[in-house]
Amino acid sequence: MTAWNLRPIASALWRNRTGALLVAFQIAIGLAVLVNAVYIVKQRVEKISRPTGMDTANMIFVASAGFARDFDYDASWREDIATLRAIPGVQAASVISNIPLSGGGSSSGFQARPGETNPEKTVPGNTYLIDEQGVDALGITLSAGRAFEPQEILPPTPTFDAASQAIVTKAFAKSLFPDDPNPLGKTFFDGLSRPITIVGVIEHMHGAWVSWDKLDHVVLFPRIKTGPSAIYVVRAEPGRQDAVMREIEAKLGDSNPGRLMRWVRPMSYFIEQSYLDDRNMAIFLVSVTGVLLAVTALGIFGLATFNVSTRIRQIGTRRAVGARRMDIVRHFLVENWMVTTAGVVVGCAGALAVGYWLSVKYQLPRLDLYYLVGGVLAIWLIGLLAAWQPARRASAISPAVATRTV
Amino acid sequence: MFGYYLKLASRNLRRNPGLTALMIGAVALGIAVCVMTLTMYRALSGNPIWWKNDVLYAVTMDFWDPTEEYFDSKPGVPPWQLTYRDALAVFASDIPKRKVIMHKAVGTLSLEDRQARPERVTTRVTTTDFFGAFDVPFQYGGTWAPSADTGPEPVMVISRAMNEKYFGGRNSVGERIRWNDNEFRIVGVRDHWMPLPSFYDVNNGSLEEPEDVYIPFGWNAALEIYSAGNTQGWKAEEINSYRDFLNSENIWIQMWVELPDENARRRFQDFLDNYAQEQKQAGRYGRPLNNRLTPVDQWLVDNDVVGNDDRVLVGLAFAFLAVCLLNTVGLLLAKFLNGAAMTGVRRALGASRRQVFMQHLVEVGVVSSIGAALGLALGGLMLMGLRALYTVDPTDQGGTQALAQVDMTSVATALALAFVATIAAGLYPAWRIGRIPPATYLKAQ
Repeated sequence: MTAWNLRPIASALWRNRTGALLVAFQIAIGLAVLVNAVYIVKQRVEKISRPTGMDTANMIFVASAGFARDFDYDASWREDIATLRAIPGVQAASVISNIPLSGGGSSSGFQARPGETNPEKTVPGNTYLIDEQGVDALGITLSAGRAFEPQEILPPTPTFDAASQAIVTKAFAKSLFPDDPNPLGKTFFDGLSRPITIVGVIEHMHGAWVSWDKLDHVVLFPRIKTGPSAIYVVRAEPGRQDAVMREIEAKLGDSNPGRLMRWVRPMSYFIEQSYLDDRNMAIFLVSVTGVLLAVTALGIFGLATFNVSTRIRQIGTRRAVGARRMDIVRHFLVENWMVTTAGVVVGCAGALAVGYWLSVKYQLPRLDLYYLVGGVLAIWLIGLLAAWQPARRASAISPAVATRTV
Repeated sequence: MFGYYLKLASRNLRRNPGLTALMIGAVALGIAVCVMTLTMYRALSGNPIWWKNDVLYAVTMDFWDPTEEYFDSKPGVPPWQLTYRDALAVFASDIPKRKVIMHKAVGTLSLEDRQARPERVTTRVTTTDFFGAFDVPFQYGGTWAPSADTGPEPVMVISRAMNEKYFGGRNSVGERIRWNDNEFRIVGVRDHWMPLPSFYDVNNGSLEEPEDVYIPFGWNAALEIYSAGNTQGWKAEEINSYRDFLNSENIWIQMWVELPDENARRRFQDFLDNYAQEQKQAGRYGRPLNNRLTPVDQWLVDNDVVGNDDRVLVGLAFAFLAVCLLNTVGLLLAKFLNGAAMTGVRRALGASRRQVFMQHLVEVGVVSSIGAALGLALGGLMLMGLRALYTVDPTDQGGTQALAQVDMTSVATALALAFVATIAAGLYPAWRIGRIPPATYLKAQ
């Protein structure tokens, strides 16, 4: 006889195995879902909370659409930019070709050598056209070099033109010149082999598409966006975003009948939109998994309660012949632990199988084994908590019960 | 007998209200989560124009970068859009019954007298067959004549929503309206139409709402309209004018054809292959011949309209349902065994196993019906919650709004699911209780 009296507990359990098996199955499914859900949620949360490199909390975007035939785009953007920069609480304002992290944008391939034909040596970059206040308005940090000078800003073209100077992210420069730690002043080339000189290096910045692995490959050019639609990026002083947005609406709203002010929106709007699917997936997984575990815990609780209620006489008898209350509690907790562990063993296999299936079928990264260990511990704990109350109730049964008929 | 069983069931269930509530709750939760995910999944994965699956085809041609595949993960699948010049060349064929070349743009809608506020509108620049090919309903009027496609004539179809905004919902056919400050004449008002997923243009997600206005394809060249959907190029080309852009290798046009029979399909495929051969000989195509006519079913698969997340969620919903049902089986079993003494008495008094089985199955039926009804209601609530989760800007009338509309098929599926699942869950406990030898429990008393 072992100190824990495992054998009689196991044999008592085996007599009423159906209920125990059902609960074990629930635990197995619960563990498989829990481990994989937590793993997926962790990836999504990490993805959403990556640093963007920009001052997103204070940025505002403004969109205007010129539509009248006599609309003068050139005069309009100059006037708008002057108005925006004069608003109190505005740190900087720039014309910009697209909104970073919005899921809409433009990308091109660049090369370290002119006329490169090897597609593997073409480095893609999210491209944006900005003016001399662009760097400041985006709130990005330059680790080397400088922002654009006013005289460098080129006029809009009817086509998708770049420029001969650029500010690029460190990540982009590293892909382009893997062996060179200091890309400042170096020249790279667009698809038509036109040279572009790096005048500034951005520490870190996100581009257009949040699920793209080249999100941090950003190239800024000194040029005004092509009309007649304009987008402006405005950076407000900390805490003044709302006031500045109201002021922009008031100042630009009806300033020109030949164009439509489409909207004034905080940067957070676009980020939320872009990460909506990831965020919702995380919310969904957390809530369903939470309820699933709660249902499983109820199942464990139900089984333990049932076991206690059908064995009142036996418990009374055991107490009458000398078992302490602790022994009764221990009996039920150990019994429950056996059921949980049976479920956990099957559940581990299930978790690994689901993880493998997800990685093969949906290209998700392979399940990390730490998560399995964590999941097992969590399930054991849940099992213990769920069985605690019925076990305590069992221990409260009076030895006198043994002498009565139920 | 059924009425008597029903009475017994209700009495038994009321004896332990906590346990009964737990069972009903478990069934309801499992059903609700399944209803929600299945409705979402159906909205994303169904073929919204299944009745045309054997006549409607997306036209794709592979003239992408000779050194690279278009889809890394799906080698051999051509890009989903065409270049402007290829689209025009293929459009010239008179084999298809209907042929659509189109893209999405944005424009500003205004009235001559500036009475209504100008409005930024999504615009489909398309040939007239769009409406016939996709069975688009009209509230007033209809589409324009084929001759207006290339003319192009200043004619326009507007959506019901725009018609309400600008003309108070009256019949506006014949009215004038301005698009980017160019005068157009309204020839038709499109009625409510929300195909889910929005299969005909997969550039901007599968929950995209149909466009506000429609104008003839020929206006591209006349008004220098660029795509607001997706423009992609693989070739470094000098582009200095809109003309250059139209002649470039940039892809931005979607093409669909309606081919009434197999014969037409084969002839059109030959036509495509011949055209591609000619272009290859002229030195343009660097890739192997790969022109496809893809029916909608396959189109949705090729373009990953159903995301991986959605499939994972459906799997999760069923795992959840399984746990809920296992739970219910366990609870039912415990409950039935608790009442075994009474069953023993009934058996001893002459009730057959079959009758005991039936009696307990009726009890299961009561639990499952209440659970399923609650589950459906709860599922509806969850769908509304889901809609809130997917709405960033409440003024946006995106396709996600349609997610909250539980259609009849989904309800029927859910009901069948609820019925089968819970009855299946109840079968074992009901059978088990019927097997109990009456003597055991009579003795214990």
